[in-house]
Amino acid sequence: MLEISDLSARVAGKDILTGVNLTVQAGEVHAIMGPNGSGKSTLAQVLAGREDYEVTRGSVTFEGRDLLAMRAEERARAGLFLGFQYPVEIPGVNNVYLLKAALNAKRKAAGEPEVDAYEFLALIRQKMKFMQMSESFLTRGVNEGFSGGEKKRNEVLQMLVLEPKLAILDETDSGLDIDALKVVSMGVNSLRDPKRAVVLVTHYQRLLDYVIPDQVHVLSGGRIVKSGDKSLAHELERRGYDWVGTQVA
Amino acid sequence: MIHIGRNTKSTIVSKGISAGHAENTYRGLVKILPSAAGARNFTQCDSLLMGPKCAAHTFPYMEVKNPTATVEHEASTSKIGEDQLFYCLQRGISAEDAVNMIVSGFCKVVFKELPMEFAVEAQNLLSVSLEGAVG
Repeated sequence: MLEISDLSARVAGKDILTGVNLTVQAGEVHAIMGPNGSGKSTLAQVLAGREDYEVTRGSVTFEGRDLLAMRAEERARAGLFLGFQYPVEIPGVNNVYLLKAALNAKRKAAGEPEVDAYEFLALIRQKMKFMQMSESFLTRGVNEGFSGGEKKRNEVLQMLVLEPKLAILDETDSGLDIDALKVVSMGVNSLRDPKRAVVLVTHYQRLLDYVIPDQVHVLSGGRIVKSGDKSLAHELERRGYDWVGTQVA
Repeated sequence: MIHIGRNTKSTIVSKGISAGHAENTYRGLVKILPSAAGARNFTQCDSLLMGPKCAAHTFPYMEVKNPTATVEHEASTSKIGEDQLFYCLQRGISAEDAVNMIVSGFCKVVFKELPMEFAVEAQNLLSVSLEGAVG
């Protein structure tokens, strides 16, 4: 579904990604781990299409299409979702309004009929219940006054409504207490499907106890330096990221 | 806003949007007469700048003739956040729709006070005026 080949990118004049290679098939869950500054978030932002990031080399195909040639909103409508590490607040824009606009933009692009306010309200109430979110969410602005945990829950809620083909979750587990982590993981797991793929970007092994990955990759110095199955995450937890440096050198 | 009576309260909310080469000015007067003991005013003046060539100015005049009154003024200047825009884009919303949504959100508190028919027209007029204003 996703094929990243020799991807290099730079932001603010600094080279961050230095040749990433990764293949993700439909139905798989991949975890990308790595120390701070390794380029994990940069990779997520480049895939989502953030313009500040300049791709200097390499290619990315998403379901056979040239992803890098698509604008950010086109990638989203094609089924790519990014769960932000630091979801931004948009006061004055209602949560429900934004999500409904997003869903309808996607449907329109796919030639499907748009949902009206009633249908959407029923849909979102159902997903909110599943994610154990309070009714107050319906009346507030996007992420307005949300705690860190609530923001992450909102990211997963949006993912459940938009049903993306490829979900990239950037440190969705950071700042969550155990209960929130369980709810978020339940949300992610509910989207597991032979036609969908998930890429989890994370520091910690903890999330991977709840959302079990098919493959784990270590990103270091802007490249994937080691790949393995879920046991690799346990090794990293025990030995730290420096250990990978010694393995690769 | 002129306060004459005791313990009178007032709120002023101003939302100004500048685009293109515009220069927007807020000029307000809060006047507290000697008879208005314990009067309170809160003034909020927010400016939204769309693009690098526009500007906003604020001239808040306060004439307070009673020492027991409280007069507050808050001003903010902002632009449409890159992060906010990208958040909307990543959800599949077009740049133009995203700008409209964010600008409407900015003005919401004012639109809410208008009679509904007028508020709807004001909102439509705003999106027509802003067409093409975001480069």
